[in-house]
Amino acid sequence: MSRIILHDNPKSLLPLSPTIFHILLSLGGGERHGYAIKREIAARTEGKLKLGSGVLYGSISKMLEWGLIEETDERPDPHLDDERRRYYRITNLGRRAAQAEAARMRELVERAAETFGVRKHA
Amino acid sequence: MPEEPVSRKIYRWLLKLYPAGFRETYAGPMEQEFREELTESTGAWALALLWIRLLIDLAVTIPAQVAREFAQDARHTFLRWAVRPWQTACAILALAIGIGANMGVFSVVNALLLSSLPFRQPERLASFQLFFPPHDSPKRFHEWRKQTAFLDDAALWETGDANLGGADKWQRARVAQTSWNFFDLLGVHPVLGRTFAPGEDVEGNGWGPAGPNAVAVISYGLWQSLFGGDRGVLGATIRIDGHALTVIGVAPPGFDYPQKASIWKPAAYSEGNYGFTTIGRLKDGVSWNQARSLSSAEAGRLSPSRETFANLKPPVVTPLRDELAGPTKKASLVLMGGAVLILLIACLNVANLLTARTADRQVELSIRSALGASRARLAQQLLSECLLLALAGGTVGTLVAYAVTSVAAQLQPAALATQTYSMFNVQVIGFAIATMLLSGFLFGILPALYARRVHEFGTRSSSDGRGSRRLRESLVALQVMLTMVLVTASISLGRAFLDLMRAERGFDRTGVVTAMVSLEGSRHDTKTKRLAYFQEVLSRLRRLPGVQVASTTQFLPLDANGFVGGRFSLDGRMASMNSMFVPVMQNYFRAMGNRLLAGREFTEADMHGNTNMAIVSDVFAREFGQPADLIGRKLSAGKSSWTIIGVVKGMDYMAADAQTSQVFYPSRSPGWPRTAVVVRVAGRPGDRLAMIRDTIRLVDPQIPLFDVKTLEQRMADEFARPQFYKTAVMCFAAFAFVLAIFGLYSIVSYSVARATHAMGVRMALGARPASLRASLLFKGLLPVAQGVILGVAGTLLSGKLLESLVEGAKSVNATACVAEILFVAVVAAAAIWVATRPIARLDVMEIIRTE
Repeated sequence: MSRIILHDNPKSLLPLSPTIFHILLSLGGGERHGYAIKREIAARTEGKLKLGSGVLYGSISKMLEWGLIEETDERPDPHLDDERRRYYRITNLGRRAAQAEAARMRELVERAAETFGVRKHA
Repeated sequence: MPEEPVSRKIYRWLLKLYPAGFRETYAGPMEQEFREELTESTGAWALALLWIRLLIDLAVTIPAQVAREFAQDARHTFLRWAVRPWQTACAILALAIGIGANMGVFSVVNALLLSSLPFRQPERLASFQLFFPPHDSPKRFHEWRKQTAFLDDAALWETGDANLGGADKWQRARVAQTSWNFFDLLGVHPVLGRTFAPGEDVEGNGWGPAGPNAVAVISYGLWQSLFGGDRGVLGATIRIDGHALTVIGVAPPGFDYPQKASIWKPAAYSEGNYGFTTIGRLKDGVSWNQARSLSSAEAGRLSPSRETFANLKPPVVTPLRDELAGPTKKASLVLMGGAVLILLIACLNVANLLTARTADRQVELSIRSALGASRARLAQQLLSECLLLALAGGTVGTLVAYAVTSVAAQLQPAALATQTYSMFNVQVIGFAIATMLLSGFLFGILPALYARRVHEFGTRSSSDGRGSRRLRESLVALQVMLTMVLVTASISLGRAFLDLMRAERGFDRTGVVTAMVSLEGSRHDTKTKRLAYFQEVLSRLRRLPGVQVASTTQFLPLDANGFVGGRFSLDGRMASMNSMFVPVMQNYFRAMGNRLLAGREFTEADMHGNTNMAIVSDVFAREFGQPADLIGRKLSAGKSSWTIIGVVKGMDYMAADAQTSQVFYPSRSPGWPRTAVVVRVAGRPGDRLAMIRDTIRLVDPQIPLFDVKTLEQRMADEFARPQFYKTAVMCFAAFAFVLAIFGLYSIVSYSVARATHAMGVRMALGARPASLRASLLFKGLLPVAQGVILGVAGTLLSGKLLESLVEGAKSVNATACVAEILFVAVVAAAAIWVATRPIARLDVMEIIRTE
């Protein structure tokens, strides 16, 4: 009995947890199923962030509740895929929330640069 | 991979630990992903790493998801409660009383019967009754204890009350005289100083001779109150009844064994003193059964001491904890049984309410089910509701539990100060949580099962509620049954209590004021001075307005906590039973409202004379002939003899043992160790307490005077414990009865509310409201009748159990049973009739118009 809480203002959801932000980032590239999201995040973080299934689906159910993502019924050919997989896509609110989070982080990075200076990677 | 199927099986099983909502949505994809990860992990190390990551993930996310879904359910539940606040409050209150009563009674049972005693290896400690090891000299006792076949060690103790302090400031204190090894046997170490050493228990009388015997260990409380916790207390002198003792040690805080003692001193042994109690530590490997048979054999071997008591029963060996729990053990178990019944009834009642509500919610549940909520998720939500209800009930119940423990602590204090009826210990808190969870499941299981059925049918058309009604009727029948059991138990206990209170005890408890006076250690230290003091007290009391007669006695009826006496013979013929030997002053029988059956009672002149005379009770006289035949005959015991001058109606000196025999003789040296002044007054004795207290005090303000009470107050104190049990069980029964009737009322009014339309139509077709109500009355009484039949069976079973547990309780007779059934039927019928009232007010036209 999951509820959907619709947030008009994505800023009210900030700061997003790193897991949620990463999931939004993955879904920004198109629809994905849970396992694909997990693998993409692992690849993007060079294996530093390996989400467990419980954490992944716990975050997904919360994001569904907040209206950041939605489940999609469109499936690839059932011969190519397991029908138990669930596919998700980002919603408009999700996109705006990701943008707001990115802006927040950018602002934070800029402030840090002003304070501590910027050090280039070796 | 050979391990793949096992791994998947384990993972699938672990996924079941997620709450229903999460599990149903995500278990499928999670399992699929696990399969893929398993395929990718080659080698033992990779597999181990995968499992470590998985287990950490599960450990973190399962509790989080459970909390999340529970919070959702809680929000939903609170909204539903807000819609029906009264119904919710009733359910919470019923559960609060049920759970609270259980928590309270359990904390008593836990303290008395389950918690360990604050002694070394307490489970091996034994207490002996009617067992008398040699105790005429310390040498003989200590030789005996070293050679017993079944005891590692044994000790003796005897208690008595004494005046502690000097002439200007005194207080009553309980003093225990013990064999020197008493503390060592228990494994109790002093917080300061030492306990007794070999050779400090000696031969002697009273509080013992001066010298090594005149030492004392004092309680922690006394150390604080008398000496302000000063560590220099060792070597200080305290006086008990004027007898100086040197303080050698301070007992640990809370130690007050035996009998709430606050001073311990080494024993003074004397021949013929059978006041000592024996405690012992069983040898390793000796079972309680072996200890029993060995102690019997030992008692036989020590037979010379036993022959003095012709009607002595065999010795009893009990674990010390059971001995300390004493009569409260069985009574606490009865109360625990009552509390469990109450909780069951409360649970049935709440289940009844919830089933009705679930039936009401059929439409809502069906719609939710159609929207995809699974059966498990619906059941989980209903169970969460129930757990919240139980939790709320339990929280309010702590207040009930607190009240129960406070009353119990007052009326049924534990034998040791350390056995407090606290709710704040692991066992009681664990029990409380278990009770809440269990009751939550108990009353939640029926609505949850019902929700399953809704889901199975899944449509609104199945909502005729017949199944629910049948279920609820069975619940009412069960409630009526349990209520009958409780009501019968309360009648049985109530009657046992009334019998106890109404018993003919040989004296008239009304119109009597009693006061205790102790001349020990005072300046009235000779026979003549003591007698003169009391004659002066009596003469002043007699002159008071409203006082009819005043006297004194060594022991008041029902107040004797020890036995002083033995077997007497009449003109050389030995009596078959022991008689208590009671010193009294003139006019004692008149003051007590006792009946003189033959001869006369003592006069003031008898007190001053030297003639040995006695008055015997009818229980003694019965064996030798008519009361009048005994006058002038010679009573003897050992070398002493007395002439019988009167026969009186026997009095109950010990509450537990009625029909004991007494021999009264003139009290020519009263005041040792204490004497009870008995004053019969006109009017209300309570009004004369202050006047009598002041009059006695004025004779000599330095004499300890205490326990100034009416005889009725004394009896109420004596019977406070049975009264507590009776009242508690009666409260339980009344509560159960109210709940059962409430359950019945709610089921009938619910069916009336549901069937309003059908009733209206039938009325439009010519049915009269009264006949409709009568048919509902008949239907409503059916479950009551079922419950009554079951209840009678339950009553017969529980009656036997109660008889074995409570002294004096008798199974109720047929008349009482029929009266109870009629009462239940009449009240149930009235409740149903009231519940059907809306039918009489139905507006047929309105219903037809709506149609």
